[in-house]
Amino acid sequence: MKALEKDHTTSDEQLQVSAAQQNPARFAELYENNFDRVYGYIARRVRSREDAQDLTSEVFRQALAGLPRFEWRGLPFIAWLLGIAGHLLSDRWKQAAKQQEVVTDDLEQIGIEDGVERRAMLSQIVETLPNDQRRVVILRFVRQMSLSEIAADLGRSEGAIKQLQLRALQSLRQRIRSNHG
Amino acid sequence: MASVSLADELNDAIEMMIAEPDSAPPTLSLQVREILGIAAQLRLLPDPSFRSRLKAELLGQSGSLSFADDEIRRREKEEISAEHAGRVEEVLPILFGAGDGTYSIRPGNFAISAAVHCALVALIALGGLWATKQPRLTSHTSAVLLTATSAYPLPVAVNKSGGGGGGGDKDKLAASNGKLPRFAGEQVTSPMIVVRNEHPKLSAEPTVVGPPALPSLSTPEVGDPLSAILNQPSNGTGAGGGVGSGSGGAIGSGFGPGVGSGYGGGTGGGVYRVGGGVSAPREIYAPDPDYSEEARRAKYQGTVLLSLIVDQDGAPRDVRIARSLGMGLDEKAVSAVKRWKFEPSRKDGRPVAVRVNIEVSFRLY
Repeated sequence: MKALEKDHTTSDEQLQVSAAQQNPARFAELYENNFDRVYGYIARRVRSREDAQDLTSEVFRQALAGLPRFEWRGLPFIAWLLGIAGHLLSDRWKQAAKQQEVVTDDLEQIGIEDGVERRAMLSQIVETLPNDQRRVVILRFVRQMSLSEIAADLGRSEGAIKQLQLRALQSLRQRIRSNHG
Repeated sequence: MASVSLADELNDAIEMMIAEPDSAPPTLSLQVREILGIAAQLRLLPDPSFRSRLKAELLGQSGSLSFADDEIRRREKEEISAEHAGRVEEVLPILFGAGDGTYSIRPGNFAISAAVHCALVALIALGGLWATKQPRLTSHTSAVLLTATSAYPLPVAVNKSGGGGGGGDKDKLAASNGKLPRFAGEQVTSPMIVVRNEHPKLSAEPTVVGPPALPSLSTPEVGDPLSAILNQPSNGTGAGGGVGSGSGGAIGSGFGPGVGSGYGGGTGGGVYRVGGGVSAPREIYAPDPDYSEEARRAKYQGTVLLSLIVDQDGAPRDVRIARSLGMGLDEKAVSAVKRWKFEPSRKDGRPVAVRVNIEVSFRLY
Protein backbone atom coordinates (compact mmCIF):
# COMPACT_ATOMS: atom_id res chain seq x y z
CA MET A 1 0.00 0.00 0.00
CA LYS A 2 2.88 2.31 0.90
CA ALA A 3 4.62 1.51 -2.36
CA LEU A 4 1.42 2.27 -4.21
CA GLU A 5 1.14 5.64 -2.49
CA LYS A 6 4.74 6.38 -3.27
CA ASP A 7 4.23 5.57 -6.94
CA HIS A 8 1.17 7.77 -6.96
CA THR A 9 3.10 10.62 -5.34
CA THR A 10 5.96 10.17 -7.75
CA SER A 11 3.63 10.23 -10.68
CA ASP A 12 1.96 13.42 -9.38
CA GLU A 13 5.32 15.02 -8.78
CA GLN A 14 6.46 14.09 -12.26
CA LEU A 15 3.41 15.78 -13.67
CA GLN A 16 4.10 18.85 -11.54
CA VAL A 17 7.68 19.01 -12.78
CA SER A 18 6.54 18.60 -16.36
CA ALA A 19 3.94 21.35 -15.89
CA ALA A 20 6.51 23.69 -14.31
CA GLN A 21 8.92 23.05 -17.19
CA GLN A 22 6.27 24.25 -19.59
CA ASN A 23 4.97 27.05 -17.37
CA PRO A 24 7.34 28.51 -14.74
CA ALA A 25 4.39 29.81 -12.73
CA ARG A 26 3.59 26.21 -11.87
CA PHE A 27 6.87 26.05 -9.95
CA ALA A 28 4.95 27.30 -6.91
CA GLU A 29 3.50 23.85 -6.31
CA LEU A 30 6.92 22.28 -6.27
CA TYR A 31 8.10 25.06 -3.96
CA GLU A 32 5.32 24.49 -1.44
CA ASN A 33 5.79 20.75 -1.46
CA ASN A 34 9.53 20.86 -0.90
CA PHE A 35 10.22 24.05 1.06
CA ASP A 36 10.21 22.51 4.54
CA ARG A 37 12.52 19.67 3.62
CA VAL A 38 14.98 21.90 1.83
CA TYR A 39 14.98 24.38 4.70
CA GLY A 40 15.25 21.58 7.29
CA TYR A 41 18.18 20.04 5.43
CA ILE A 42 20.01 23.34 5.34
CA ALA A 43 19.07 24.44 8.88
CA ARG A 44 20.56 21.27 10.30
CA ARG A 45 23.91 22.20 8.75
CA VAL A 46 24.22 25.92 9.45
CA ARG A 47 24.46 27.92 12.64
CA SER A 48 21.91 30.60 12.07
CA ARG A 49 18.47 31.14 10.66
CA GLU A 50 19.80 33.86 8.39
CA ASP A 51 22.21 31.45 6.74
CA ALA A 52 19.49 28.83 6.39
CA GLN A 53 17.13 31.32 4.78
CA ASP A 54 19.79 32.68 2.42
CA LEU A 55 20.78 29.24 1.22
CA THR A 56 17.18 28.09 0.90
CA SER A 57 16.43 31.11 -1.27
CA GLU A 58 19.42 30.35 -3.46
CA VAL A 59 18.45 26.69 -3.81
CA PHE A 60 15.00 27.56 -5.15
CA ARG A 61 16.31 30.31 -7.41
CA GLN A 62 18.80 27.92 -9.00
CA ALA A 63 16.17 25.22 -9.24
CA LEU A 64 13.79 27.55 -11.06
CA ALA A 65 16.51 28.68 -13.45
CA GLY A 66 17.68 25.14 -14.13
CA LEU A 67 14.28 23.50 -14.36
CA PRO A 68 14.33 23.16 -18.20
CA ARG A 69 17.47 21.00 -17.91
CA PHE A 70 15.97 18.75 -15.25
CA GLU A 71 15.44 15.19 -16.47
CA TRP A 72 13.27 12.79 -14.58
CA ARG A 73 15.35 9.74 -13.72
CA GLY A 74 13.17 8.04 -11.18
CA LEU A 75 14.43 9.96 -8.16
CA PRO A 76 12.05 12.34 -6.36
CA PHE A 77 12.34 16.03 -7.15
CA ILE A 78 13.58 16.73 -3.62
CA ALA A 79 16.72 14.73 -4.36
CA TRP A 80 17.63 17.22 -7.07
CA LEU A 81 16.88 20.16 -4.77
CA LEU A 82 18.96 18.69 -1.95
CA GLY A 83 21.77 18.11 -4.43
CA ILE A 84 21.76 21.83 -5.21
CA ALA A 85 21.65 22.58 -1.48
CA GLY A 86 24.60 20.27 -0.88
CA HIS A 87 26.69 22.06 -3.48
CA LEU A 88 25.78 25.46 -2.03
CA LEU A 89 26.62 24.33 1.49
CA SER A 90 29.92 22.95 0.30
CA ASP A 91 30.76 26.24 -1.40
CA ARG A 92 29.77 28.14 1.71
CA TRP A 93 31.98 26.00 3.92
CA LYS A 94 34.89 26.28 1.57
CA GLN A 95 34.59 30.05 1.68
CA ALA A 96 34.43 29.97 5.44
CA ALA A 97 37.40 27.58 5.63
CA LYS A 98 35.26 25.23 7.61
CA GLN A 99 34.99 22.51 5.15
CA GLN A 100 32.92 19.60 6.15
CA GLU A 101 32.23 16.51 4.22
CA VAL A 102 28.85 16.54 2.57
CA VAL A 103 27.62 13.64 0.58
CA THR A 104 26.14 15.23 -2.49
CA ASP A 105 26.27 12.42 -4.96
CA ASP A 106 23.98 10.02 -3.18
CA LEU A 107 20.89 12.11 -3.48
CA GLU A 108 18.50 9.33 -2.81
CA GLN A 109 20.05 8.76 0.59
CA ILE A 110 19.88 12.47 1.37
CA GLY A 111 16.24 12.54 0.38
CA ILE A 112 15.20 10.04 3.01
CA GLU A 113 17.40 11.38 5.77
CA ASP A 114 15.55 11.30 9.09
CA GLY A 115 16.73 14.73 10.26
CA VAL A 116 15.39 16.40 7.15
CA GLU A 117 12.01 14.78 7.46
CA ARG A 118 11.79 15.53 11.19
CA ARG A 119 12.63 19.19 10.72
CA ALA A 120 10.24 19.47 7.84
CA MET A 121 7.57 17.83 9.96
CA LEU A 122 8.31 20.10 12.91
CA SER A 123 7.70 23.14 10.81
CA GLN A 124 4.39 21.72 9.65
CA ILE A 125 3.33 20.69 13.15
CA VAL A 126 3.95 24.17 14.46
CA GLU A 127 1.34 25.35 12.02
CA THR A 128 -1.19 23.01 13.59
CA LEU A 129 -0.75 24.34 17.12
CA PRO A 130 -3.51 26.42 18.66
CA ASN A 131 -3.19 30.01 17.68
CA ASP A 132 -1.92 31.37 21.02
CA GLN A 133 0.63 28.56 21.41
CA ARG A 134 1.79 28.98 17.81
CA ARG A 135 2.23 32.71 18.30
CA VAL A 136 4.25 32.18 21.45
CA VAL A 137 6.50 29.66 19.66
CA ILE A 138 7.06 32.01 16.72
CA LEU A 139 7.75 35.04 18.90
CA ARG A 140 9.87 33.16 21.37
CA PHE A 141 12.00 30.95 19.10
CA VAL A 142 11.84 32.54 15.67
CA ARG A 143 11.80 36.19 16.67
CA GLN A 144 13.67 35.35 19.90
CA MET A 145 11.71 37.84 22.01
CA SER A 146 11.85 37.78 25.82
CA LEU A 147 8.94 36.69 27.96
CA SER A 148 8.18 40.25 28.97
CA GLU A 149 8.16 41.42 25.36
CA ILE A 150 5.82 38.60 24.36
CA ALA A 151 3.61 39.25 27.34
CA ALA A 152 3.38 42.92 26.41
CA ASP A 153 2.74 42.07 22.77
CA LEU A 154 0.00 39.60 23.55
CA GLY A 155 -1.41 41.48 26.54
CA ARG A 156 -0.84 38.49 28.83
CA SER A 157 1.19 37.96 31.99
CA GLU A 158 4.66 36.45 31.87
CA GLY A 159 3.40 33.49 33.86
CA ALA A 160 0.72 32.82 31.26
CA ILE A 161 3.31 33.02 28.49
CA LYS A 162 5.49 30.53 30.39
CA GLN A 163 2.57 28.13 30.58
CA LEU A 164 1.74 28.62 26.90
CA GLN A 165 5.40 27.99 26.02
CA LEU A 166 5.42 24.78 28.08
CA ARG A 167 2.16 23.50 26.65
CA ALA A 168 3.25 24.28 23.10
CA LEU A 169 6.48 22.32 23.45
CA GLN A 170 4.71 19.41 25.15
CA SER A 171 2.15 19.40 22.41
CA LEU A 172 4.86 19.38 19.73
CA ARG A 173 6.61 16.46 21.45
CA GLN A 174 3.32 14.59 21.64
CA ARG A 175 2.53 15.13 17.97
CA ILE A 176 6.05 14.22 16.85
CA ARG A 177 5.83 10.98 18.78
CA SER A 178 2.42 10.16 17.35
CA ASN A 179 3.69 10.88 13.81
CA HIS A 180 6.75 8.64 14.34
CA GLY A 181 4.75 5.97 16.06
CA MET B 1 2.34 23.78 41.18
CA ALA B 2 4.53 21.12 39.65
CA SER B 3 3.54 22.53 36.32
CA VAL B 4 4.65 25.98 37.36
CA SER B 5 8.01 24.79 38.49
CA LEU B 6 8.40 22.77 35.25
CA ALA B 7 7.53 25.86 33.22
CA ASP B 8 10.06 27.90 35.18
CA GLU B 9 12.76 25.27 34.76
CA LEU B 10 12.06 25.04 31.05
CA ASN B 11 12.03 28.82 30.63
CA ASP B 12 15.36 29.16 32.42
CA ALA B 13 16.89 26.52 30.15
CA ILE B 14 15.48 28.23 27.08
CA GLU B 15 16.84 31.59 28.24
CA MET B 16 20.28 30.05 28.58
CA MET B 17 20.02 28.29 25.24
CA ILE B 18 19.10 31.52 23.46
CA ALA B 19 21.78 33.54 25.24
CA GLU B 20 24.57 30.96 24.85
CA PRO B 21 23.69 28.43 22.16
CA ASP B 22 27.05 26.64 22.28
CA SER B 23 27.22 26.18 26.04
CA ALA B 24 26.51 22.84 27.68
CA PRO B 25 22.98 22.56 29.09
CA PRO B 26 22.70 22.54 32.90
CA THR B 27 21.47 19.54 34.78
CA LEU B 28 17.81 19.23 33.87
CA SER B 29 14.96 16.92 34.55
CA LEU B 30 14.15 14.30 31.94
CA GLN B 31 10.95 16.06 30.86
CA VAL B 32 12.71 19.38 30.33
CA ARG B 33 15.60 17.74 28.44
CA GLU B 34 13.18 16.16 26.00
CA ILE B 35 11.27 19.30 25.14
CA LEU B 36 14.40 21.46 25.23
CA GLY B 37 15.64 19.47 22.23
CA ILE B 38 12.51 20.48 20.37
CA ALA B 39 13.01 24.07 21.47
CA ALA B 40 16.53 23.98 20.05
CA GLN B 41 15.15 22.93 16.68
CA LEU B 42 12.50 25.63 16.84
CA ARG B 43 15.21 28.23 17.09
CA LEU B 44 16.09 27.64 13.44
CA LEU B 45 12.54 27.56 12.12
CA PRO B 46 12.12 29.95 9.24
CA ASP B 47 10.37 33.20 9.72
CA PRO B 48 6.76 32.69 8.58
CA SER B 49 7.07 35.72 6.37
CA PHE B 50 10.22 34.34 4.75
CA ARG B 51 8.42 31.46 3.18
CA SER B 52 5.72 33.60 1.60
CA ARG B 53 8.21 36.31 0.68
CA LEU B 54 10.45 33.84 -1.14
CA LYS B 55 7.49 32.34 -2.90
CA ALA B 56 6.40 35.72 -4.16
CA GLU B 57 9.91 36.46 -5.24
CA LEU B 58 10.17 33.20 -7.18
CA LEU B 59 6.82 33.76 -8.83
CA GLY B 60 8.00 37.19 -9.88
CA GLN B 61 11.15 35.64 -11.28
CA SER B 62 9.20 32.97 -13.11
CA GLY B 63 7.15 35.66 -14.81
CA SER B 64 10.24 36.86 -16.60
CA LEU B 65 11.17 33.36 -17.60
CA SER B 66 9.91 31.52 -20.59
CA PHE B 67 10.70 27.90 -20.83
CA ALA B 68 8.76 27.55 -24.01
CA ASP B 69 11.73 28.11 -26.31
CA ASP B 70 13.95 25.93 -24.19
CA GLU B 71 11.32 23.25 -24.10
CA ILE B 72 10.85 23.39 -27.88
CA ARG B 73 14.57 23.10 -28.38
CA ARG B 74 14.75 20.22 -25.92
CA ARG B 75 11.94 18.38 -27.62
CA GLU B 76 13.49 18.96 -31.03
CA LYS B 77 16.71 17.56 -29.70
CA GLU B 78 14.89 14.52 -28.36
CA GLU B 79 13.11 14.01 -31.66
CA ILE B 80 16.39 14.26 -33.57
CA SER B 81 17.97 11.77 -31.21
CA ALA B 82 15.05 9.39 -31.61
CA GLU B 83 15.16 9.76 -35.38
CA HIS B 84 18.90 9.17 -35.38
CA ALA B 85 18.43 6.08 -33.23
CA GLY B 86 15.80 4.83 -35.65
CA ARG B 87 18.14 5.31 -38.60
CA VAL B 88 20.95 3.53 -36.83
CA GLU B 89 18.58 0.70 -36.06
CA GLU B 90 17.71 0.44 -39.73
CA VAL B 91 21.33 0.44 -40.80
CA LEU B 92 22.63 -1.92 -38.14
CA PRO B 93 19.67 -4.01 -36.99
CA ILE B 94 21.99 -6.72 -35.68
CA LEU B 95 23.64 -4.27 -33.32
CA PHE B 96 20.87 -1.82 -32.44
CA GLY B 97 17.70 -3.71 -33.34
CA ALA B 98 15.42 -5.64 -31.05
CA GLY B 99 16.32 -9.02 -32.46
CA ASP B 100 14.09 -11.70 -33.86
CA GLY B 101 12.51 -12.50 -30.55
CA THR B 102 14.27 -15.79 -29.96
CA TYR B 103 17.57 -14.34 -28.93
CA SER B 104 18.21 -10.89 -27.58
CA ILE B 105 20.70 -8.60 -29.24
CA ARG B 106 24.06 -8.51 -27.49
CA PRO B 107 26.09 -5.54 -28.68
CA GLY B 108 29.09 -6.87 -26.76
CA ASN B 109 29.25 -9.92 -29.02
CA PHE B 110 29.07 -7.66 -32.05
CA ALA B 111 31.94 -5.58 -30.69
CA ILE B 112 34.08 -8.69 -30.07
CA SER B 113 33.35 -9.99 -33.56
CA ALA B 114 34.22 -6.63 -35.09
CA ALA B 115 37.46 -6.48 -33.13
CA VAL B 116 38.46 -9.99 -34.22
CA HIS B 117 37.73 -9.18 -37.86
CA CYS B 118 39.71 -5.97 -37.66
CA ALA B 119 42.63 -7.85 -36.13
CA LEU B 120 42.54 -10.46 -38.91
CA VAL B 121 42.43 -7.82 -41.62
CA ALA B 122 45.34 -6.00 -39.99
CA LEU B 123 47.27 -9.27 -39.73
CA ILE B 124 46.77 -10.02 -43.41
CA ALA B 125 47.74 -6.50 -44.42
CA LEU B 126 50.83 -6.48 -42.24
CA GLY B 127 51.76 -9.96 -43.42
CA GLY B 128 51.63 -8.75 -47.02
CA LEU B 129 53.81 -5.79 -46.17
CA TRP B 130 56.27 -8.03 -44.36
CA ALA B 131 56.43 -10.41 -47.30
CA THR B 132 57.09 -7.60 -49.75
CA LYS B 133 59.81 -6.20 -47.54
CA GLN B 134 61.54 -9.59 -47.24
CA PRO B 135 61.33 -11.18 -50.69
CA ARG B 136 62.37 -14.76 -51.12
CA LEU B 137 65.44 -14.83 -53.34
CA THR B 138 65.18 -17.14 -56.26
CA SER B 139 68.23 -18.44 -57.96
CA HIS B 140 68.69 -18.14 -61.66
CA THR B 141 71.51 -19.70 -63.55
CA SER B 142 72.42 -19.66 -67.18
CA ALA B 143 75.22 -21.07 -69.23
CA VAL B 144 76.36 -19.60 -72.49
CA LEU B 145 78.55 -21.24 -75.05
CA LEU B 146 80.71 -18.30 -75.86
CA THR B 147 81.95 -19.45 -79.25
CA ALA B 148 78.40 -19.84 -80.40
CA THR B 149 77.58 -16.27 -79.49
CA SER B 150 78.58 -13.81 -82.13
CA ALA B 151 78.44 -10.92 -79.70
CA TYR B 152 81.04 -12.40 -77.39
CA PRO B 153 84.30 -10.42 -77.55
CA LEU B 154 86.72 -13.30 -78.03
CA PRO B 155 87.74 -13.20 -81.67
CA VAL B 156 87.37 -16.26 -83.75
CA ALA B 157 90.62 -17.24 -85.48
CA VAL B 158 90.76 -16.62 -89.21
CA ASN B 159 93.89 -18.37 -90.48
CA LYS B 160 95.02 -20.63 -87.66
CA SER B 161 93.26 -23.58 -86.26
CA GLY B 162 94.59 -25.94 -83.65
CA GLY B 163 95.15 -29.62 -83.94
CA GLY B 164 98.03 -31.94 -84.44
CA GLY B 165 99.02 -35.44 -85.09
CA GLY B 166 101.62 -38.03 -84.41
CA GLY B 167 103.04 -41.26 -85.57
CA GLY B 168 105.93 -43.65 -85.41
CA ASP B 169 106.56 -47.35 -85.67
CA LYS B 170 108.08 -48.05 -82.26
CA ASP B 171 111.64 -47.47 -83.42
CA LYS B 172 114.34 -47.13 -80.80
CA LEU B 173 115.33 -43.76 -82.12
CA ALA B 174 113.29 -40.64 -82.25
CA ALA B 175 112.02 -39.47 -85.58
CA SER B 176 114.64 -37.99 -87.86
CA ASN B 177 114.55 -34.52 -89.31
CA GLY B 178 112.89 -33.85 -92.62
CA LYS B 179 110.23 -31.93 -94.47
CA LEU B 180 106.52 -32.25 -93.99
CA PRO B 181 104.52 -34.04 -96.59
CA ARG B 182 101.80 -32.28 -98.44
CA PHE B 183 98.77 -31.14 -96.44
CA ALA B 184 95.52 -32.53 -97.67
CA GLY B 185 91.97 -32.64 -96.52
CA GLU B 186 92.09 -36.41 -96.20
CA GLN B 187 94.97 -38.74 -95.52
CA VAL B 188 95.34 -41.90 -97.60
CA THR B 189 98.89 -42.93 -96.85
CA SER B 190 100.92 -42.05 -93.79
CA PRO B 191 104.32 -40.43 -94.31
CA MET B 192 107.24 -42.78 -93.62
CA ILE B 193 110.98 -42.18 -93.35
CA VAL B 194 111.98 -45.81 -93.12
CA VAL B 195 109.79 -47.62 -95.62
CA ARG B 196 108.92 -51.07 -94.36
CA ASN B 197 106.95 -52.20 -97.40
CA GLU B 198 108.74 -51.39 -100.60
CA HIS B 199 106.04 -52.75 -102.86
CA PRO B 200 102.59 -51.87 -101.68
CA LYS B 201 99.67 -53.14 -103.71
CA LEU B 202 98.17 -49.72 -103.88
CA SER B 203 100.45 -46.76 -103.70
CA ALA B 204 99.43 -43.22 -102.87
CA GLU B 205 101.14 -40.01 -102.00
CA PRO B 206 101.75 -39.72 -98.28
CA THR B 207 99.97 -36.67 -96.82
CA VAL B 208 98.96 -35.19 -93.48
CA VAL B 209 95.61 -33.60 -92.65
CA GLY B 210 95.69 -29.86 -92.48
CA PRO B 211 94.99 -26.71 -94.44
CA PRO B 212 96.32 -27.25 -97.97
CA ALA B 213 97.63 -23.71 -98.11
CA LEU B 214 100.26 -24.28 -95.43
CA PRO B 215 103.76 -24.01 -96.88
CA SER B 216 106.09 -26.99 -96.66
CA LEU B 217 109.72 -26.84 -95.64
CA SER B 218 112.50 -26.97 -98.16
CA THR B 219 114.11 -30.06 -96.65
CA PRO B 220 114.38 -32.78 -99.34
CA GLU B 221 113.50 -35.75 -97.08
CA VAL B 222 110.21 -36.31 -95.34
CA GLY B 223 110.49 -36.21 -91.56
CA ASP B 224 109.83 -34.30 -88.41
CA PRO B 225 110.93 -30.71 -89.00
CA LEU B 226 111.59 -30.19 -85.31
CA SER B 227 113.79 -33.27 -84.85
CA ALA B 228 117.51 -32.88 -84.12
CA ILE B 229 118.37 -36.23 -85.68
CA LEU B 230 119.70 -35.53 -89.14
CA ASN B 231 121.56 -38.49 -90.61
CA GLN B 232 119.93 -41.48 -88.91
CA PRO B 233 116.59 -42.28 -90.53
CA SER B 234 113.88 -43.32 -88.08
CA ASN B 235 110.09 -43.27 -88.03
CA GLY B 236 110.15 -42.49 -84.32
CA THR B 237 109.03 -44.20 -81.17
CA GLY B 238 105.32 -43.70 -81.72
CA ALA B 239 102.80 -46.14 -83.11
CA GLY B 240 100.24 -46.46 -85.82
CA GLY B 241 102.41 -45.46 -88.71
CA GLY B 242 103.73 -42.07 -89.65
CA VAL B 243 106.58 -40.18 -88.05
CA GLY B 244 107.12 -39.13 -84.45
CA SER B 245 106.34 -40.13 -80.91
CA GLY B 246 102.58 -39.96 -81.11
CA SER B 247 100.06 -42.09 -82.85
CA GLY B 248 97.67 -41.76 -85.70
CA GLY B 249 99.74 -42.11 -88.85
CA ALA B 250 100.97 -38.55 -89.20
CA ILE B 251 103.85 -36.49 -87.88
CA GLY B 252 104.53 -35.29 -84.34
CA SER B 253 103.94 -36.18 -80.75
CA GLY B 254 100.20 -35.90 -80.88
CA PHE B 255 97.39 -38.12 -81.93
CA GLY B 256 95.71 -38.11 -85.25
CA PRO B 257 96.46 -37.39 -88.90
CA GLY B 258 97.91 -33.90 -88.49
CA VAL B 259 101.21 -32.42 -87.46
CA GLY B 260 102.28 -31.40 -83.98
CA SER B 261 101.52 -32.16 -80.40
CA GLY B 262 97.75 -32.01 -80.60
CA TYR B 263 95.30 -34.39 -81.99
CA GLY B 264 92.56 -34.62 -84.54
CA GLY B 265 94.45 -33.30 -87.54
CA GLY B 266 95.81 -29.88 -88.41
CA THR B 267 98.87 -28.17 -87.01
CA GLY B 268 99.94 -26.00 -84.12
CA GLY B 269 99.24 -28.27 -81.20
CA GLY B 270 96.11 -28.71 -79.13
CA VAL B 271 92.67 -29.19 -80.52
CA TYR B 272 90.93 -27.26 -83.24
CA ARG B 273 89.53 -23.88 -82.41
CA VAL B 274 86.52 -22.36 -83.98
CA GLY B 275 87.44 -20.45 -87.09
CA GLY B 276 89.57 -21.11 -90.11
CA GLY B 277 86.95 -23.43 -91.54
CA VAL B 278 86.08 -25.01 -88.19
CA SER B 279 82.44 -24.48 -87.26
CA ALA B 280 81.27 -23.85 -83.69
CA PRO B 281 79.65 -26.68 -81.81
CA ARG B 282 75.97 -26.22 -80.93
CA GLU B 283 74.51 -27.32 -77.65
CA ILE B 284 71.69 -29.83 -77.92
CA TYR B 285 71.08 -30.59 -74.28
CA ALA B 286 72.17 -27.92 -71.80
CA PRO B 287 70.68 -28.25 -68.31
CA ASP B 288 71.21 -25.24 -66.02
CA PRO B 289 73.48 -25.74 -63.04
CA ASP B 290 72.16 -25.81 -59.50
CA TYR B 291 72.84 -23.01 -57.04
CA SER B 292 75.01 -23.98 -54.11
CA GLU B 293 73.30 -23.58 -50.71
CA GLU B 294 76.30 -21.77 -49.32
CA ALA B 295 76.20 -19.14 -52.05
CA ARG B 296 72.41 -18.78 -51.73
CA ARG B 297 72.66 -18.08 -47.98
CA ALA B 298 75.44 -15.56 -48.62
CA LYS B 299 73.45 -14.05 -51.52
CA TYR B 300 76.57 -14.57 -53.61
CA GLN B 301 76.38 -14.33 -57.34
CA GLY B 302 78.67 -14.08 -60.32
CA THR B 303 79.95 -15.90 -63.37
CA VAL B 304 82.17 -18.95 -63.83
CA LEU B 305 84.14 -19.29 -67.05
CA LEU B 306 84.78 -22.85 -68.15
CA SER B 307 87.06 -24.11 -70.89
CA LEU B 308 86.38 -27.52 -72.39
CA ILE B 309 86.83 -29.65 -75.45
CA VAL B 310 83.84 -30.78 -77.41
CA ASP B 311 84.95 -33.97 -79.08
CA GLN B 312 83.91 -35.43 -82.39
CA ASP B 313 80.93 -37.11 -80.72
CA GLY B 314 79.69 -33.87 -79.21
CA ALA B 315 80.59 -34.85 -75.65
CA PRO B 316 82.36 -32.43 -73.31
CA ARG B 317 85.90 -33.38 -72.38
CA ASP B 318 88.64 -31.90 -70.30
CA VAL B 319 86.41 -29.36 -68.56
CA ARG B 320 88.57 -26.77 -66.80
CA ILE B 321 87.78 -23.72 -64.75
CA ALA B 322 89.12 -20.70 -66.56
CA ARG B 323 87.73 -18.12 -64.10
CA SER B 324 86.70 -19.28 -60.69
CA LEU B 325 83.79 -17.91 -58.57
CA GLY B 326 83.99 -19.99 -55.42
CA MET B 327 81.40 -20.90 -52.79
CA GLY B 328 80.74 -24.19 -54.53
CA LEU B 329 79.51 -22.57 -57.72
CA ASP B 330 82.52 -23.71 -59.74
CA GLU B 331 81.79 -27.34 -58.96
CA LYS B 332 78.11 -26.85 -59.76
CA ALA B 333 79.00 -25.29 -63.09
CA VAL B 334 81.45 -28.08 -64.01
CA SER B 335 78.95 -30.74 -62.95
CA ALA B 336 76.23 -29.24 -65.11
CA VAL B 337 78.35 -28.66 -68.19
CA LYS B 338 79.69 -32.21 -68.08
CA ARG B 339 76.14 -33.36 -68.72
CA TRP B 340 75.75 -31.21 -71.82
CA LYS B 341 75.45 -32.71 -75.26
CA PHE B 342 76.64 -30.92 -78.41
CA GLU B 343 76.36 -31.16 -82.09
CA PRO B 344 80.13 -31.33 -82.82
CA SER B 345 82.14 -28.80 -84.73
CA ARG B 346 82.82 -29.61 -88.33
CA LYS B 347 85.78 -29.03 -90.58
CA ASP B 348 85.36 -29.77 -94.23
CA GLY B 349 82.17 -31.57 -93.36
CA ARG B 350 83.71 -33.92 -90.85
CA PRO B 351 83.21 -33.66 -87.07
CA VAL B 352 86.29 -32.45 -85.22
CA ALA B 353 87.11 -31.76 -81.59
CA VAL B 354 87.30 -28.12 -80.61
CA ARG B 355 88.09 -26.21 -77.45
CA VAL B 356 85.39 -23.76 -76.44
CA ASN B 357 84.59 -21.53 -73.48
CA ILE B 358 81.31 -21.59 -71.65
CA GLU B 359 80.24 -18.83 -69.32
CA VAL B 360 77.94 -19.98 -66.51
CA SER B 361 76.10 -17.18 -64.68
CA PHE B 362 74.63 -17.48 -61.21
CA ARG B 363 72.13 -14.78 -60.25
CA LEU B 364 69.79 -14.16 -57.28
CA TYR B 365 66.82 -11.82 -57.69
